[in-house]
Amino acid sequence: MIRSSARPLPPPSVAPAPARMREADTLAFLAELSQALAVSLDLRQTLSETVRRVAEFMQVEGAALFLLGEGSDGDARSAGVLECRVCVGPVDITGARLAVGQGVVGRAEAENATQVVVDAANDARVWREGDDATGFVTTSLVCAPLATANGPIGALEIVNRRDGRAFTDADAELLGLVAAPAALAINNARMARDLIEQQRLKREFDLARRMQRSLLPRRRRDGFPVTGVNRPAHEISGDFYDYFELADGRVGFVVGDVSGKGLDAALLMVRTASLLRWAGKDGLAPGAWLARANEELCETAQEGRFVCALVGYCDRAGTHVTFAGAGFPPVVVERRGAFSEFGSGGPPLGILPGMVFDQHAIALEGGTLYAFSDGATDVRDASGQPIGGAGVRELIARHARASLDARVRGLLDDLKRLRLVDDTTLLIVEAPRAAAPDVLLARSVPAKAEELRGLRAALRGSLDELGLDPLLRDRLVLAVDEACSNIIRHAYGADGGGSIGLQLARCGPWLRFELTDSAPCSDLARMKPKPLGDCRCGGMGLALIDEVMDDWRLERGAGGRGNRLVLSKRIDEIDEGNE
Amino acid sequence: MSAHANEVATERGEGYVLVRLAGEVDLSWSQQVRRAVLAAIEQDAAVGVELSRVSYIDSSGIAALVEGFQAARGRGSRFALVAVSDAVRAVLELARLDRVFVLVATPDALPAA
Repeated sequence: MIRSSARPLPPPSVAPAPARMREADTLAFLAELSQALAVSLDLRQTLSETVRRVAEFMQVEGAALFLLGEGSDGDARSAGVLECRVCVGPVDITGARLAVGQGVVGRAEAENATQVVVDAANDARVWREGDDATGFVTTSLVCAPLATANGPIGALEIVNRRDGRAFTDADAELLGLVAAPAALAINNARMARDLIEQQRLKREFDLARRMQRSLLPRRRRDGFPVTGVNRPAHEISGDFYDYFELADGRVGFVVGDVSGKGLDAALLMVRTASLLRWAGKDGLAPGAWLARANEELCETAQEGRFVCALVGYCDRAGTHVTFAGAGFPPVVVERRGAFSEFGSGGPPLGILPGMVFDQHAIALEGGTLYAFSDGATDVRDASGQPIGGAGVRELIARHARASLDARVRGLLDDLKRLRLVDDTTLLIVEAPRAAAPDVLLARSVPAKAEELRGLRAALRGSLDELGLDPLLRDRLVLAVDEACSNIIRHAYGADGGGSIGLQLARCGPWLRFELTDSAPCSDLARMKPKPLGDCRCGGMGLALIDEVMDDWRLERGAGGRGNRLVLSKRIDEIDEGNE
Repeated sequence: MSAHANEVATERGEGYVLVRLAGEVDLSWSQQVRRAVLAAIEQDAAVGVELSRVSYIDSSGIAALVEGFQAARGRGSRFALVAVSDAVRAVLELARLDRVFVLVATPDALPAA
């Protein structure tokens, strides 16, 4: 029990401790109060309970509880100020504020010592403006500091004994005893409140994250030329990507990075993503597309917030790309191991209106366009240095030959291993490849009729592994066999020799049968299927192929030699689980 | 899939000639099938081509059957496919030829076909 030694006046009459303060009663009161406070996790209820019970037990005219402002509730003025949070008595002083050190309350707090004022009228410590404002006359008071292990949190004050006498040391001691469990209960209630607040925030963050992820388009596996992927470094990402098809067959794409992290960055991201999608769907040239979004963002974006973005279009086949960047890291194009980089066409969006954005138009020529948000170049290597553009190129080179799926996985895994320090978003544009792992069969046989039986058996086996319906399987085998027969009979003809290559690949919902030969180039004009049901001979093989397959096309072979016949069949009815 | 060896055999029955085929009829021996069918038609009797043991047939095999059908019609002879396997029937249906040929279950039905 710490008591202030500053007691300027001795009590006028030193009365023995009154009967109401019997020790047994006091213990019962303290036990009851502690119990009541122990179960209370509601701050307001804890405070009122304390003050009400103390005033009642100690038979006083008024009691008040002051808390030291936490400065965390958005009110900067509350920091370091004692505010009356709850009181009982003839006048309501709730909301009254005192600086630490001011008045008896402020002094109890500052000195962390119980203050006893026996004669308020003649005690310099008393803050008189309170009485002046309310008309209440304070004759005697006791104030005990409230403190936890982390320091002072407030003070508990009682004013005027109802029996008219001055407060005694015994009163001060009792109030000091009450202060300990009260401080503990207040602390618990605050922690409970903070915990609930944290849970509420977490729920809101979860919701925001789900909302954000739902904005990202689904991965398309139907030979779509654009693929996006985002790996957030935080719960909520400031990165985004999007792609969509225009009525004219072009594919629009967007990838962006909002400055800053957290909820407000996420909200700006949501706004920017929809803005860019809206502008892109108008089919504006990429430079104009960015300029329009920039004007809109400059009008509305908050100070200090900006958006780095890359927007563009490609044709459905993924061979030609037009794009423009706004403060976006250079776009990297990889073609057979060689790299080209295309810098941003203008500053980030949302900073200055009236900006012009330069655009690039390039032919991919079988290459791949990679657009990484700056997160990737920020990734640190083992020595803690950002890997930079060279590191990103090295990363791409390492995975360049892998299929799209394997490449995306490999790139992300590498970035993760290299410690992700920012959101990382990757957008890839390339001509859809007949992905290597989806090749189900690859055979090359001499172009002889005797080889067909074995080829059919192999094909049948591969199709069975797909879980294909036997009727469809037999039709597909027939169509491929007809195509092989035609190569043997018509392409190679009497000359013979040569070989036939057969590759079966699955590409999304499509099965592709690719037949290659080294025969003289076939004349497509001479290849005419005759109507089925026609009993005249010739042309039936082609008619069967036509009937069975959804599509077929004949091209010059690689390097202008031979022929390449690609037969396609859509088989989306296959259950993926059968694979 | 029952894997029969490729085989063509011609036999004479009561008022008919039956060409029995087995295996997978494709480009590698459809000419042999064609010659056997046309030779059977030369014999001026009802001709049947028995296909129960044929597990595969391509358009060159179908073409041999079509040629036989047309040659028999030119001579005013009966021509029918006998005991057609599911595999052959599927291809006939695909080629819209299932209604062109006369299909019978057994060779006994040939003279009346």
